[in-house]
Amino acid sequence: MSINYTELHFRKRKSLSADSKVCAGCRTCEIICSLSHEGSIDIQKSRIIVKSNSFKGSFTPRFCHQCSDFPCFYSCPEAAIHIDPDLGIVLIDEKKCVGCRECEEACPFKIIRYDEQKEKAFKCDFCNGDPKCVRWCPVNALGIIKFGGEI
Amino acid sequence: MVLYEHGWTGKILRVDLTERKWNVESTSKYADRFIGGIGIGLKILWDEVDPEINSFNPGNKLVFAPGPLTGTLAPGSGRFEIVSKSPRSYPVDTVTRSGMGGFWGPELKYAGYDALIIQGRAENWINLWIHNEKVKFLEAKDYVGNDTYTTQKKLHKELDPEARILCIGPAGENLSRLAVILSETSFVSGKSGFGAVMGSKLLKAIAVRGTKSLKIFNAERMIEISKRVRQLSANNPMREWTSTLMLDSVDRQSFLNKYRKKNIGCFGCHTLCFAHLSVPDAGESQCHCIGYFYYSAATKYYGHTLKRDQAVFDSIVLANKLGLDHYEFYSMIRFLEDLYNSGNIRSQVDLPLDQFGSREFVQKLLENTALRKGIGDLLAEGSARVADQIDNGWSYCSKYFPAYGSAEHESPRNNPGVALLWALDSRDPIIDQHPYARISSTFQKRPFPYSLSPEVAKMMAKKIYGSEKAIDHTTFEKKPEAIIYTQNRSAVINMLVVCDWVYPIVLSYTSGEYGGGDTTLESQLLTATTGHDVTENELNLTGERVWNLSRAIMLREGRTRENDTLNETYFRNYEGEIAIPKEDFEKAKTNYYRLRGWDEAKGWPTSQKLNQLGLSDVADILQKEKLIK
Repeated sequence: MSINYTELHFRKRKSLSADSKVCAGCRTCEIICSLSHEGSIDIQKSRIIVKSNSFKGSFTPRFCHQCSDFPCFYSCPEAAIHIDPDLGIVLIDEKKCVGCRECEEACPFKIIRYDEQKEKAFKCDFCNGDPKCVRWCPVNALGIIKFGGEI
Repeated sequence: MVLYEHGWTGKILRVDLTERKWNVESTSKYADRFIGGIGIGLKILWDEVDPEINSFNPGNKLVFAPGPLTGTLAPGSGRFEIVSKSPRSYPVDTVTRSGMGGFWGPELKYAGYDALIIQGRAENWINLWIHNEKVKFLEAKDYVGNDTYTTQKKLHKELDPEARILCIGPAGENLSRLAVILSETSFVSGKSGFGAVMGSKLLKAIAVRGTKSLKIFNAERMIEISKRVRQLSANNPMREWTSTLMLDSVDRQSFLNKYRKKNIGCFGCHTLCFAHLSVPDAGESQCHCIGYFYYSAATKYYGHTLKRDQAVFDSIVLANKLGLDHYEFYSMIRFLEDLYNSGNIRSQVDLPLDQFGSREFVQKLLENTALRKGIGDLLAEGSARVADQIDNGWSYCSKYFPAYGSAEHESPRNNPGVALLWALDSRDPIIDQHPYARISSTFQKRPFPYSLSPEVAKMMAKKIYGSEKAIDHTTFEKKPEAIIYTQNRSAVINMLVVCDWVYPIVLSYTSGEYGGGDTTLESQLLTATTGHDVTENELNLTGERVWNLSRAIMLREGRTRENDTLNETYFRNYEGEIAIPKEDFEKAKTNYYRLRGWDEAKGWPTSQKLNQLGLSDVADILQKEKLIK
């Protein structure tokens, strides 16, 4: 059976967005992300990363852009990466991941990373459609772009 | 055995600069009684530092201590505390505290340490580099004379662009008593001159990079309580640089609105007290309301013009780069103006007092103070010590410096409660005890939500301090009770370590719940983070324990009841009439000592009280030294 992932996904495709002009650099997004996914404060495992330069006042959040050409999806030899038609986002299935790190290599934003302990890749899972980083951002620097035109 | 593995990292790093050695110790011998932050810091100073030595002696130690909540989701948890003997204290160096927000404290936790102890003195200038388990001493010859921004940029290149750095500027190198320890652009430990202590140890900077995880006992609960904190402490006026405490709030706000690019926050905090400013032809940088010391002087000189704003902005950035404390200069420039107007000092090349209020004046003032050039050599000692050296100095200085050489902050003149706070501390008390000052300053009328209505303030006072009288400015009644509560709770937040602009939430700016805070939130957060069941009362008791320890240290340094006072001027109002009668003040002190369980005649802790608080080891030593019975 073959599914046209691209077509299903495009109707609901969405991604995080960030306005670095507004970002206050407080790192709340990194803290809440690691706490809710890992149960501990582990900034290295946050799915969103803020690069800070306080001398310039520039804070740049880096996150999964849910690319429309799916480099990670196509790089995975085990089909552990799939596209969720309901959420409209790209997910890694931990059970299927064998830790070959191909997706890490393929990611243009270097935001898919590798958990040395679990020996699995990890990335933003969009918190089941309600990203916590967006909710907790105190200045609304983070938001959701609905590429698919969903209202 | 009790475990300290959630919230705490369980390890303390001790670095000896003389021996160029370091070792790791366990947190467990401190954590049960003193939690962290100033608790650990004061205990180490009590155990290990000779009360007789001065602050620049190599025997003095610097303790950098975050707490179990530092670096967690708890809003306002970007802080850590520094405890050491302070060169800023007047008339003699005493042990005190000074905290800092920003990102360095959390980074130290992620590197795996609950505290960092610096002892001894390096042979040559060095930088310290802590990268998780690795500790390195790096030559800092090329960094001497560099300002704080340059130092950090060079270290980012040399070590790791992600490292968080504490450093001193030229002021600290030259042992100015006004020197701060600074991180990034404007996160500063400013009140206690600890920059000079770092300078005396020939330590230019401490860079830290931590990539470890910090365990949280109950993540879900922590998220839940943090949400509640966020809701109750929303709309904090600090974001707009205004509060009930600031008389020039309206001016600050208009300055801010003109040049603000955006607000900046400390680690994990939604209050966003810092702002990134950009002023035409002056540059851009991150600033805090405390930096705003030159505004009224510059307004007198330039009027409401762009030139004024450039001078104000320049002074903020320059003081940060040189590593000087803004707050002192807020009062020092008024003191100098008085001395000049009365003919006690003359205008000179080092200090062009005839151009008071100009951009050139403030540049010369700051640079010469940091470099100890000309009269700057004297000014670097701080206003209180300047007053000692100049004829009639104290008749002017005492107008701006209530006690212990600290610059005025929330004037004690008409406010008996604040007067007691000042008299019973070892430095400016308001900086980590804002909540009492906020509630008791209702006489300043500002638009909602920046000021409380007297009705709401009374309601709050009754709820928190047990009586409306606690904020009544006409009497000392109920003041000792309110002050004891305030001091204990400030010790608590300084142990956890969280920011006093968020905790304890004694009042909420959120509409609907306006006035109603929740003071149990710190204990709930600590329980969720560490897994140790702690109630609000137990936490208050820990605060009391640490305040008693702090007083025991003062006792050893020679502090007695007579020292617990204010400069003469502060017993009078601005018209020169007696506002706080001395007898009432002394009676209130007696009440305070009695309620504390201390010796009323001397103001010293008693062995009975110390034993009751679980400080029998402290009581034993004081008895052995024949200081208490």
